[in-house]
Amino acid sequence: MIGRDGVAGLAVAAASLALFWLTLGLERNPLVPVGPGFYPRLVLGITAGLGLWLAAQDLWARRRAQPAPPAAAARLNYALVAASFGVFFAYTLALPTLGFRIATFAFVAALNALLDPPRRPAQWARVALLALGATLAAWLVFEHYLLVLLPRGRWTDF
Amino acid sequence: MFELLWHGIEGMMALQYLVPLALGTLVGVVGGALPGVTITMTIIIVLPFTFGLDPLQGLAAMTGVYVGGSAGGLVTATLLGIPGTPSSVATTFDGFPMARKGEPGRAMWLGVWGSFFGGMLGGVFLIFATGPLAAFALEFGPWEFFSLFILALSMVAGLVGDSLLKGLLSGALGLVVTVMGNDPILGAPRLTLGIEFLEGGIPFLPVLIGVFAFAQIMGDVEHMGGAGRAAAALDRTLSLAVSHAKVIMEILRRPFLLLWTSFVGVVIGVLPAIGGSAANMMAYDQAKKLSRHPERFGTGTPEGIVASESANNANVGGSLVTIMAFGIPGDAVTAVMLGALTIHGIQSGPLFISQHPKIAYGIFAAYLLAHPIMVLIMALGARWMLRVVSVPRSALFPVVLVLCTVGAYALGNAMSTVYVLLIFGLGGYGMVKAGIPLAPFILGVILGDQIETNLVRAVMTDADPWLFFTRPISGVLLAASVGSVVLALWQQRRHRRRAQAGAGEGADF
Repeated sequence: MIGRDGVAGLAVAAASLALFWLTLGLERNPLVPVGPGFYPRLVLGITAGLGLWLAAQDLWARRRAQPAPPAAAARLNYALVAASFGVFFAYTLALPTLGFRIATFAFVAALNALLDPPRRPAQWARVALLALGATLAAWLVFEHYLLVLLPRGRWTDF
Repeated sequence: MFELLWHGIEGMMALQYLVPLALGTLVGVVGGALPGVTITMTIIIVLPFTFGLDPLQGLAAMTGVYVGGSAGGLVTATLLGIPGTPSSVATTFDGFPMARKGEPGRAMWLGVWGSFFGGMLGGVFLIFATGPLAAFALEFGPWEFFSLFILALSMVAGLVGDSLLKGLLSGALGLVVTVMGNDPILGAPRLTLGIEFLEGGIPFLPVLIGVFAFAQIMGDVEHMGGAGRAAAALDRTLSLAVSHAKVIMEILRRPFLLLWTSFVGVVIGVLPAIGGSAANMMAYDQAKKLSRHPERFGTGTPEGIVASESANNANVGGSLVTIMAFGIPGDAVTAVMLGALTIHGIQSGPLFISQHPKIAYGIFAAYLLAHPIMVLIMALGARWMLRVVSVPRSALFPVVLVLCTVGAYALGNAMSTVYVLLIFGLGGYGMVKAGIPLAPFILGVILGDQIETNLVRAVMTDADPWLFFTRPISGVLLAASVGSVVLALWQQRRHRRRAQAGAGEGADF
């Protein structure tokens, strides 16, 4: 059975070898005899080797290790992590379509509510206030003071 | 040199520089005091605000964040027993017991003044060592630079994390990021996977922001489950009043401790990517070993607080030396500063101090002035900061992520850099879960292009690969790289053997 390190090592090795294969098509240049593929091949070869080594080490360690009694694993909230990444992913999609102000308001409110779910109307009001305050502050400081042109929405033109 | 330094201080006293410096220091102190918000994250938050400023204003703000953040962690470390940053972990060992014994003011101010004196000693090293080290680095050819960068990578890979193999893999992955896009010598496109954006290569700041911000935030989110509020038991009636002269004398009566722990901090700072988190622990350990009363450590002894805090602020000076003399970031904070320099078209490295004396001496001045500003902020706002600590993380994290997004977006006014942020945020979190350290990865991303450029230049100048070993400086640097890897292997084996012995002893009972 392969462990977490083994999976990571094999994934790294596979990706490195795929990129290595792509470097074989790079043409040499008369001005630089070693060519643009020389260094990437070196780096990708080393990375693939290290990935395979990690996978082999994991397999070797698992073969030698005694079966350990199941440890009391710390309860980590991976569902919340996945949901938080999901909210951020939605934010990156919303930025060019809805524009910075609407997307940021929705993002701050959504993530805040996700991490600390409001139950009473006053808590919902606090979520809305934080989202509004953060959005307005960021927009004013960056657009008006620091002259950073923040994304406008394709759908909203706002 | 002193004339330039004086001009630098004079210039930094002008409002246009003093305001960003003071604001940066304030943000650094607050960020450092907030448990779960590291100095790296604070500087990442500040980065987008510096885009509209001139380079020295931006760097003054960042230097302020660095100095303020290194000291800010002591507020919660001493008063709440929660280290605000990893660089103030050792401060809790004696700071909190002293505060609980009824001397919170003494505990906090020993830390503040320890930070001040340690930082100033680090400043002396920064000012006097940067020039000579940069002059020494000017002797370097491509062989020496290549070997120096390899040494930096191998040291970081060996010193951070529990596994040398994972450290090396992390560094190699960082280098892989830099081989995508046009090659740095001729600009020939390679490994762009048909994506137009990749032709320019992957910009390193969104990578750095994504990797560090998401790894930290999602690491904290894992432990949340509806109760995202920081539950800090704060006694709002506690008094921080103290005789400053007495506290200062208490520190200065131990000159050897102050000098030695500051020296430890500086040395750790000079070594790439180790940072204040190691500096404060190592200095604490040194102070304990050299003390006549090691048994008092952990019970509220002033030596423990002074050692930890002087080392973590002196560490800042050491880190700045490495970036200014060699162009190698001492840690993630200086990596962001390096990125800020790059945005303004300034190349850090051996020529930096001679080509940009105004900026170089401006950084020295900002560093020196940030310390008294930090003391002033602590005097005016320590109690207020304790209230800031109770800001719920559920409110803090969305705002931090918005600032990270704006920071990434503003780099090229394009969504592509935001997608880079997201992809590397996922990657960074994945690396943390796989136990792969982030520091070697970031160093690989930062140094990758320079490693390639110097390697190819060396090969083009003379195809003999033995020159890397036979040129004296290059040979010594490569031997040191091998030495650092061997040392890391030895340390890991010793650690494993001790752990096994400990397990065996435990089984007997």
